[in-house]
Amino acid sequence: MSLLQISQLSKIYRKGDIQIDALKDITFNVNQGAFVSIVGRSGSGKSTLLNLIGGLDTATSGHIIFNGKDLTRMKRSELAQHRRFSVGMVFQSFNLIPHRSALENVMLALTFGGIPRFQRRERATQLLSRVGLEQRLHHKPAELSGGEAQRVAIARALANSPAMLLPDEPTGNLDSTTAREIINLLQDLNRSQGVTIVMVTHEQDVAISVSSEVIRLLDGQIEQYDQTGEAP
Amino acid sequence: MKLLDTIGLGFDNLRRTKLRTFLTTLGVVIGIGALASMISFGTGMQKNITDTFKENDLFTSLYITSKKIDVEEMASGDLDNMANLLKQPSVALTDSTLQEIQCISGVEIAFPEIRFPVKVRFGDHETRTHLQALPAAMRSYKPYNEMMSGEFFDDDTSSTLVIRWETLKQMNLLVQDEIRPKRQSDGDTLNGLSIVRSDSIVGKPIEIVSAALDGSQLPSNPMLSFLNPDRPIIKESVTEFTVSGILQKSGTFSSNRLKGGIIVPLKAAGKIPRLGFSSVWELLGDMDEKNTYNSIYVRMKSMRDMEPVREKIEKMGLHVFSITDQLEEIKRGFLIMDAILGAIGTIALVVAALGIINTMIMSILERTREIGIMKAIGGSEGEIRMIFFIEAGTIGLIGAVFGLILGWIVTRIANMIANAQFLPPGEPSVDFFYFPLWLIFGAVAFSLVISLAAGLYPANRAARVNPVEALRHD
Repeated sequence: MSLLQISQLSKIYRKGDIQIDALKDITFNVNQGAFVSIVGRSGSGKSTLLNLIGGLDTATSGHIIFNGKDLTRMKRSELAQHRRFSVGMVFQSFNLIPHRSALENVMLALTFGGIPRFQRRERATQLLSRVGLEQRLHHKPAELSGGEAQRVAIARALANSPAMLLPDEPTGNLDSTTAREIINLLQDLNRSQGVTIVMVTHEQDVAISVSSEVIRLLDGQIEQYDQTGEAP
Repeated sequence: MKLLDTIGLGFDNLRRTKLRTFLTTLGVVIGIGALASMISFGTGMQKNITDTFKENDLFTSLYITSKKIDVEEMASGDLDNMANLLKQPSVALTDSTLQEIQCISGVEIAFPEIRFPVKVRFGDHETRTHLQALPAAMRSYKPYNEMMSGEFFDDDTSSTLVIRWETLKQMNLLVQDEIRPKRQSDGDTLNGLSIVRSDSIVGKPIEIVSAALDGSQLPSNPMLSFLNPDRPIIKESVTEFTVSGILQKSGTFSSNRLKGGIIVPLKAAGKIPRLGFSSVWELLGDMDEKNTYNSIYVRMKSMRDMEPVREKIEKMGLHVFSITDQLEEIKRGFLIMDAILGAIGTIALVVAALGIINTMIMSILERTREIGIMKAIGGSEGEIRMIFFIEAGTIGLIGAVFGLILGWIVTRIANMIANAQFLPPGEPSVDFFYFPLWLIFGAVAFSLVISLAAGLYPANRAARVNPVEALRHD
């Protein structure tokens, strides 16, 4: 059964008289446990698509059915619930809160998740250990390397046990070795914990090597849909 | 997210920008301080006056006269009118009227008002004052139950009297039982006053010198006597009394001093020869009714009894006067004063509110990205709005608490200066400012409402931050 069903999804931005078709008539399904990569040139609409799945943005038309519920019909407060519990977003620029330590950044997500105060520290420590950062709990983002910061972001994304991770160019700011480590971590999470991943990347090689499916976007439309055969 | 966590996040933000939070809060502190001290001055003045009213039982007092005295008509000099006025059928204030009034339910005590000017002589000391007659029953009411020394007389016929501290001071006798501070022994501030202990006054004899008609000298036509200075119809008579007690020094706002410097038992006072207002009739030979009074003082059991008793007495054809009639007018005056003082304070608070708006908008601009992150990881609009509301509310609350402290300190200092500047030395100090409970809670509530209103726009703006754009934000 598909965890995510996207049908005839369009997103149009209007800036004055100019109309930009960021996404046009996108349709695809993502199965539970899949690792989908969305590739394409910049401006092809990859991030827009991810933001729509993540409930950060709203579609112009079409449907995004996540776990049986249509995001395009949700109220703003329901979308907040979706972002909190159903998906975990990971960004190219990490988007950690600078004045909070690694532990506090993860704990903030747990706070929004309504986890009681006394459980938060323990759970955040577990999550950070899971991404290999048990030694860096009390460091501020500025004191962490890019790879470490991205691990914190992944731990935070996993905080409220979402069904799906949505990394948006997670390796874009990292050197190739670190990038490989992050990809390996995502792959590990996908395989050992069954977390479904829909990742945006512009590194096609990486995408092909780890993904079960690769979706290539061009000018807001699906140009190519590949099943690499590694699908679970 | 739980409320406690939301509060925690709000506090976090305030802690992070300590200086800015401090300065913004300082604005509220000054605003609330100004508002609270202004209003406390208004209420202080009002309290001083109402307290004086209460102290003198003016809220439960009625003054009964037999007819309305129309001063204007009297002053117009129209003799016909005046004659009419005097001829008007009216209920006289006699002992039976007094009894009738005493029987009305709600009346605590009623007695005729007797007050006339006398000279008081104590040893070599002498002064002019008014004699006031009171029944001994008044000994259990304020201010007569608070004697400085000795006791209030307990017999309406005894030849004892109570003297006011102020009257003794008029006689250059400064009664002081406490140990005198060294500073005062040089006598500088006490020029001409001899300091005495109360036991050298209480129990000692005192003379009342009153003026009265000399009946024996009264000619058949009284007008003739004025033409004949060799045979004065008015003579001085001396009555001996004993001081039974000294009445407590009264407050600055108190009108006690208008009431008479010495207090004499009701029946004993009747025996003192005097030249009262009614003597004009005596003079004119109208001596039919000896026991009529000019006015009767009625005291109610409680303020609730005022109106019903008043109605009943008015039905008896008597004129009733009560100071509370004047109070409404006074209150209206105070309301206007409070409004003006409050407006000045509110302006200060509005300026502070603009400070809050400014600070919070700045803070949102700085934290746009952070708000975006919070939204991306699941923060709802309501929660983010709440975080900012709590920030604004905290500024308002802390501002109110310290504002009240500031206001209190300022009023204490102002009070000290006012007391030193405007009150004659030796007078008991007056509190010009008053912080009632409603002012304290009102100031806190007002500050909270103003700061939350100030936080309304910023908080909504924060809640509506578009996360996609905010995350692109640097």
